Amino acid sequence: MTGAPSAALAPELSLEAQLERIATIGYPTKRDEAWRYAPHTILHQLAFGPSGVVDAAVLSGIDDQIPTLAGPRIVVVNGVFDEARSDITVLADGLELLLPGHGAHGVVEHGVVEHGAVLPDPGRADAPDAFAALNDAYSGVGVGVHVAAGHHIVAPIHIVTISAPAGTQNATCSRVAIQLDAGSSATVVETRLGVGSEFGGANTRTTISLGDNASFDHIIVQDVPSTQVHLSHTEATQSTGSELTARLFNLGAVYGRLAYDVHLTGDGARVDLSGLYFGRGDQTLDQQINVIHAAENCTSRQAFRGVLDDESTGIFNGGIEVRPGANGTEAEQSNDNLLLSNRAEANTQPRLEILADDVACKHGATVGQLNDEAMYYLRTRGIAAEAARRLLINGFADQVVHDVGIEALRTWITQRLGHDDD
Amino acid sequence: MLHVEHLTASIGGTQILKGLDLDVGNGEVHAIMGPNGSGKSTFAHTLAGRDGYEVGGTVTLDGADLLVMTPEARAAAGVFIGFQYPVEIPGVNNMYFLRTALNSVRRARGETEISAREFLAIANEAMELVQMKKDFLNRAVNAGFSGGEKKRNEILQMAVMQPRLAVLDETDSGLDIDALRVVASGVNALRGPDRSMIVITHYQRLLEYIKPDFVHVLVDGRIVESGDYTLALHLEEAGYADFVNQELNEVPGRPMSGAPT
Repeated sequence: MTGAPSAALAPELSLEAQLERIATIGYPTKRDEAWRYAPHTILHQLAFGPSGVVDAAVLSGIDDQIPTLAGPRIVVVNGVFDEARSDITVLADGLELLLPGHGAHGVVEHGVVEHGAVLPDPGRADAPDAFAALNDAYSGVGVGVHVAAGHHIVAPIHIVTISAPAGTQNATCSRVAIQLDAGSSATVVETRLGVGSEFGGANTRTTISLGDNASFDHIIVQDVPSTQVHLSHTEATQSTGSELTARLFNLGAVYGRLAYDVHLTGDGARVDLSGLYFGRGDQTLDQQINVIHAAENCTSRQAFRGVLDDESTGIFNGGIEVRPGANGTEAEQSNDNLLLSNRAEANTQPRLEILADDVACKHGATVGQLNDEAMYYLRTRGIAAEAARRLLINGFADQVVHDVGIEALRTWITQRLGHDDD
Repeated sequence: MLHVEHLTASIGGTQILKGLDLDVGNGEVHAIMGPNGSGKSTFAHTLAGRDGYEVGGTVTLDGADLLVMTPEARAAAGVFIGFQYPVEIPGVNNMYFLRTALNSVRRARGETEISAREFLAIANEAMELVQMKKDFLNRAVNAGFSGGEKKRNEILQMAVMQPRLAVLDETDSGLDIDALRVVASGVNALRGPDRSMIVITHYQRLLEYIKPDFVHVLVDGRIVESGDYTLALHLEEAGYADFVNQELNEVPGRPMSGAPT
């Protein structure tokens, strides 16, 4: 399986051809369903380019923001591996990491094994949109995580992506490729943070490949500064009997986009996706979720919650596609939104395309405000109005947060959401 | 202790309470009975401070004017209402909710807060009172509770809050006989010289278990008759028809023979 990275990385298109294609297809517009509510004017101010090393002073203060988890930590700043902030000294048996070096294709030492096989095809001729093509063009070698067959990696693998925009080239790309071989299990936490108050953005791509009966927990916490744009796209492919659990927290950014596509290609695969978006100010938080059932007896669940205050906008665009022959499919989807301000907005869009006969599919969406009766109930118990309001908001959000099995991360998220108690 | 004088309440232009008078002394248990629509629940929520009513008249608790207070200030002053329909609050842990409630009133009274450990002891004692299993505290407030569990949770909260005045709004509704016994014995255990109770019920059944000191009949927004426990027995036999008719012929604002003040 271990091959020369350069061979595995040979792009379909040269960089020039990729950039030419991007110029031809152009950025998505409001007419593209998946980009309908995106702030296009802001997106056009992003200037992408290759990764570059960041001045250390810019990063002062970031260390306190990074959740401390057990297990290896890989920190990537503007697409470049930050060795000093990373900790890869102890790697469990069966775990291999591929790390981006200080150039395009470098590989660091530390006993870390290069593993070209996990990497996605770079320079795709058919990248679905200009941002995906930009990621191909500029994300370089990326971080690779490979778990060998039958190995169970208990400690979470923490990948921290930091964007530090500066100057005219204000947007960078990075990527993560995860491969779990048959019968293995692992947890990857991706924390996306940023520094500074300058405008800029990050464009991240994560690819996940799960072998037969592999079990994978994936958590994404997006909390970049509200001056930045965060574009995240995950594509997962699941083989027979594999299980994927994903928890997505979309908290920061002026435009925070978490796109997550799951392709169930093997019989009996299961995916459980849930997420929380919590908007304030003029944030737009966008969840673009797609699950494709392409095999028999697969189950999928999408459960997303949004809390939207001030003038923030939340988007849930959730697709369930059941391909012909995917009998025995069980798919469910829910999206619940809590509006805390009469200027906040929730856009929820279920998309169901069912082309098989034996399918159980349900979906539902709600948009509501704080329950007056619950407020009154809490106040009759002596809890003052503001505290009661906070209790109800946290109660709504906690139904997603409580699903996070890693206590340190759960605490980090609850503190970020302004709790005083877990 | 509680003094209610010519209490009126209307909602959306419809007057529901039309001059209610009641005095409740220290340690007394008063039952308020009445037909549907007579204003029983409105009375309870007027005492607790629900928004949306236009309220007139006087209500004082130990001399303090309740009507100007927010619901949370009333709780701090010692008012507790047991809801007829306890509200489900998914995502909020029952234990955390109870401790927040207790500490909120303690803070408002200038008392020290209770630690998580101290609270557990208080909660365990209360749980025993209403015969709840340990996992009860770790569930979300009322979420997915059966009718009986919800009512037991109300009494559990009352046991934790140790109110000066408990107003129990149709606590018996929706309970089977076993649950009714548990709830009633919980209430009885909480009776004491410094705690008064107003037990609102449609049926006499609850009063077999919680023997009130006084019984009042509420009809069309006023108390039309007051007496001792035997009045409840009479109502059980004769229904409210007597009082409905009688009330129509009576001069409004009939003085009632409640507790001594």
